[in-house]
Amino acid sequence: MFQAASARLAQTLLVLLFVSAASFAFLKLAPGDPVSIMLGADYSKSSYDQLTHELGLDQPVVFQYGNWLADFVRGDWGTSYITSQDIFELAVLQALPVTLTLAALSLLIALLIGIPTGVLAALYRNSWADVLATTLAIGGNAFPSFYLGILLIWLFGVDLGWFPVLGFVAPWEDFWQGLWHLALPAVTLGAWYVGLIARITRSSLLEVMGQPYIAAARARGEPGWRVVWVHGMRNVLMPLVTVIGLQLGGMLRGAVMTEVVFALPGLGMMVTTAVLNREYIVVQAGIMLTGLLFVAVNLAVDQTYQFLDPRLRRR
Amino acid sequence: MSEPSHKDKLAEVLAAGMNRRSFMKLMGSGAGLAAGSAIMGSALVQNAMAAAPKRGGTIKLAWVDAVDTLDPHFTASLGSVKILNNIFNGLLKVAYDGKKVSFVPDLAESWEMPDDKTHVFKLRRGVKFHNGDPCDAEAVKWSLERVKDPAVGSPHAWKFETLAGIDIVDDATIRMRFSKPYAFLPVALTGSTGRAGTIVSKRAVEQHGKAFGRNPVGTGPFKFAGWRENESITLERNPDYFEPGLPYLDGVQILLIKEPTAAVAAMMAGQVDGMSLSPFQFIPQLKANKNLKVYGEVEGNYSFVGMNNRRAPFDDPMLRKAVAAAIDRNVIVKQGYFGEAIPAFSCISPPMTGFYDANIGKTGRGQRFDLKKAMEYRKQSKVQGEVNPVYIVAQGFTGSGGSGTRNSQLILPMLEKIGIKPKIELLDRAVWTKRRNGGDFDMYDEAWIADLDPDETIYPEWHSGKPWNFVGYSNPEFDKLISDAQDTLNQATRKKLYDQAEDLLMADAPLAVLAHMKVFKILSKRVQGFQYIPVDLLNLHSVWLA
Repeated sequence: MFQAASARLAQTLLVLLFVSAASFAFLKLAPGDPVSIMLGADYSKSSYDQLTHELGLDQPVVFQYGNWLADFVRGDWGTSYITSQDIFELAVLQALPVTLTLAALSLLIALLIGIPTGVLAALYRNSWADVLATTLAIGGNAFPSFYLGILLIWLFGVDLGWFPVLGFVAPWEDFWQGLWHLALPAVTLGAWYVGLIARITRSSLLEVMGQPYIAAARARGEPGWRVVWVHGMRNVLMPLVTVIGLQLGGMLRGAVMTEVVFALPGLGMMVTTAVLNREYIVVQAGIMLTGLLFVAVNLAVDQTYQFLDPRLRRR
Repeated sequence: MSEPSHKDKLAEVLAAGMNRRSFMKLMGSGAGLAAGSAIMGSALVQNAMAAAPKRGGTIKLAWVDAVDTLDPHFTASLGSVKILNNIFNGLLKVAYDGKKVSFVPDLAESWEMPDDKTHVFKLRRGVKFHNGDPCDAEAVKWSLERVKDPAVGSPHAWKFETLAGIDIVDDATIRMRFSKPYAFLPVALTGSTGRAGTIVSKRAVEQHGKAFGRNPVGTGPFKFAGWRENESITLERNPDYFEPGLPYLDGVQILLIKEPTAAVAAMMAGQVDGMSLSPFQFIPQLKANKNLKVYGEVEGNYSFVGMNNRRAPFDDPMLRKAVAAAIDRNVIVKQGYFGEAIPAFSCISPPMTGFYDANIGKTGRGQRFDLKKAMEYRKQSKVQGEVNPVYIVAQGFTGSGGSGTRNSQLILPMLEKIGIKPKIELLDRAVWTKRRNGGDFDMYDEAWIADLDPDETIYPEWHSGKPWNFVGYSNPEFDKLISDAQDTLNQATRKKLYDQAEDLLMADAPLAVLAHMKVFKILSKRVQGFQYIPVDLLNLHSVWLA
């Protein structure tokens, strides 16, 4: 058990190292640099050279990467070139909680809508309910989240005036205000997941419901809801958890668009701004955090397998 | 009033049509401080007088332009300047009476010139920084010298290039000595676009070092209260502000928004009280909303297409002249700027009172659309047959000047008529900046914005070897004219020099000028007392909420 975990950890670190080097290299390959952006219209050769030197951007790229990595692993994530804010504080204390809250709420909404939709579609296969649910699921999956966001803003924010269209209020500071502000973004981001979850639920449940043990349960005279939600769903959970974990990348990608459209100060917003400003070390921080998040979710998914399927438990 | 010659000279320096009567009133009045606000009351506060102002409340503003730092001596962003101007004061400030732009004392109480290279400023007494330190002669001297100090590295240091020294006369008077007459000084000393004359707290700068830009301490109507990255900046009322009774608001909440569509939606839904700026395409929609008021006039700016003088094909003046004559500015104004601009004939724009000629369109001066002439120039150009210059365009909404790809797409078919088929390269801002600065283009889009004096709108842009002359234009005769104009305090002589210089520039056509644009502030109708100033400012000291 311990051996397996440490092998996994080593693997993870290797992956993160590779990711950090690749992203650093790609960003350096992209033309443009933070200095000319910082100087804006007041550009002159001497101030350009001075600032480049101050930021250490005149050193060879390998040195820059090495310095960054050495500082990073020691917990010194540096300060933003442009705003001179501490990056650890910006990324971990400010941006990360926003993105995690948004993702969690979106996932919750997606589960609450997606699972019943999928179950309904499976139970009434080929009926109008199935067609409707499948259409909605595929539609939600295919609809670009930024466009859905703008539509929701105009309908529920501007025309009806029911929800705020931008800004973030931390739910741990003001719970209801927080939820109210996150409603539209969470639905926007969740819509994509609803489709995915409904489809997986439908197909898995269809397969499961054909199994002999379901017939056996029915034969024992168990009530219909119990057959579906207890016996059936138990075996749908595994593929569902797997897909949700695997699609975390999709969610983070969607979060970038959603955060920009709704002006939420999360990781996506941070990385977008940083990429446009060529703030290499802020982007690095964002990528490392995202990488860690991926690894953490994968570990968590693995742990749930043992919980969901008793056969995988080690004795 | 004992030395009228000084006053005359001074009125000239204040140039740009300083409201002379008010100025004399200020100078003549013994009660300097009260007189200062009397001017504001008489000429500038237009709609503030409609009802009695109400104290209290927090205004919520959607800020769509970028904020880099709140250190006035380092910012390169007008989005920051607009905020800074509520936290800091300059020695002078920009005023506007609906027709004329002028420069009036702010932290200074009076300004005298014993000779044309020496400026004596009497400071307001009793002004305090937000941290309690006195803003006296010592503090002002230190702040001005911070800008000039090469070790500090402020990008505005060039504005004090000819500053020979600052003497402290007494604790409320300073004397600035220059090595030659300096016509641009009034603008340089304002707290807004000038930035160099913005007075910062020495103790706060020393305490925070590089992080002063995130912990600004000034003397203005509002104190800095907090900054949440990518989210919001908050300001709170400075109860010790030197203009009695002001500000009315308790606080300001600035929401930092990347996506203008989101800000427009919030504005339409009444969820914010104002917008710092709006792209042109949203203006018709915002104007149609009865709850909103759209402020915006043609400001001190010009947009243009720059042509690279350093390499073929635009090293040939004839080809450049052909481009300048082939562009129909009316189409650009109508379709590129949705009618919210005026055609430009030269670089000098309307707020440059005393230098801008409102009838320039009828005088025959400057660049204008004339397809026949364009074809003639084209026939005389070195390269015949089709040319395919590389035209770099910055992506997306880029502040006051940017219109994305609209202009380039309108210009393309116009140039096709004279056998020029540019290849448009749409680049993200960072790449575009790099290529512009490195001269790696044949044509590029640009707009110089928020300028108040011909010097700042022409000199660093088109003088040989100056920092923003990205196209590598060089004409010694032009250089001499604009250098002479810098040292000329007599406004009539100065205007003549600029007229000649501009005629040369427009004829050599390193650029094809396009338009002078409106710059917008959107405020909800419950926001009262806002004083519009045409240099992209959003000053909140006189604002109150109904």
